Amino acid sequence: MSLDLDTSVKLAIYTTIAETAAAPTAVAVAQRIGAAPQQVEAAFTRLYEKRLLVPEPGHPSRIRMAPPFSGVPTAFPVETRGKRYYANCAWDALGIPAALHEDAVIPAADAFTGERLTLEVKAGRAVPQECVIHFAVPAARWWEDIIYT
Amino acid sequence: MLLFRSEETVDHWCQAHRVPRRPLITLGQLWQLAVIWYANRLTAESRRPAADEMASVFAAVGLEGPFWDPQADTWRSAI
Repeated sequence: MSLDLDTSVKLAIYTTIAETAAAPTAVAVAQRIGAAPQQVEAAFTRLYEKRLLVPEPGHPSRIRMAPPFSGVPTAFPVETRGKRYYANCAWDALGIPAALHEDAVIPAADAFTGERLTLEVKAGRAVPQECVIHFAVPAARWWEDIIYT
Repeated sequence: MLLFRSEETVDHWCQAHRVPRRPLITLGQLWQLAVIWYANRLTAESRRPAADEMASVFAAVGLEGPFWDPQADTWRSAI
């Protein structure tokens, strides 16, 4: 199957993150798929327009978010496959084991008190835990400032 | 979206940040959303759901109303 550039870039990004728990740069993606870094950087922009990727503000060759993965450490670490990934929010913290189809432990905390609040995904489901999730931004505005959302 | 132990700590957080309290969802609902949204994210076919698909996804897990409508412009008055 022949893939278009954007799809090849997307798959290279997600495969790299799944393998290494780190987001690749445009140069690394270019090396992986045999494309020019400028072409990959342009694909980053198009993937952002499709809401599949968020380049680092001010650094278009770096990845801040490839949902559910974060390109930088966050308050939502996800431990699975012997690695520590980072998610962008509570939703994405569960999204990582969903995307990887793996069990996972999420050593998170109450956003106000800082009390440890560990979530776990086991055998394809979230283990019940006493907690609630608060959405501060309505769906129509999530991508106005997706990093805040 | 953030994680809290209880509704009480949500209220404290909202007061501290001077933001209105908005909808809460359960861990079970969040897991359903995560699976629907991301289960095929590592495949060539994956894409973000379109707006009408998003509304259907939210409704399927019990999340309805202007807050969950990605095309709503009335959410302010509805909350």
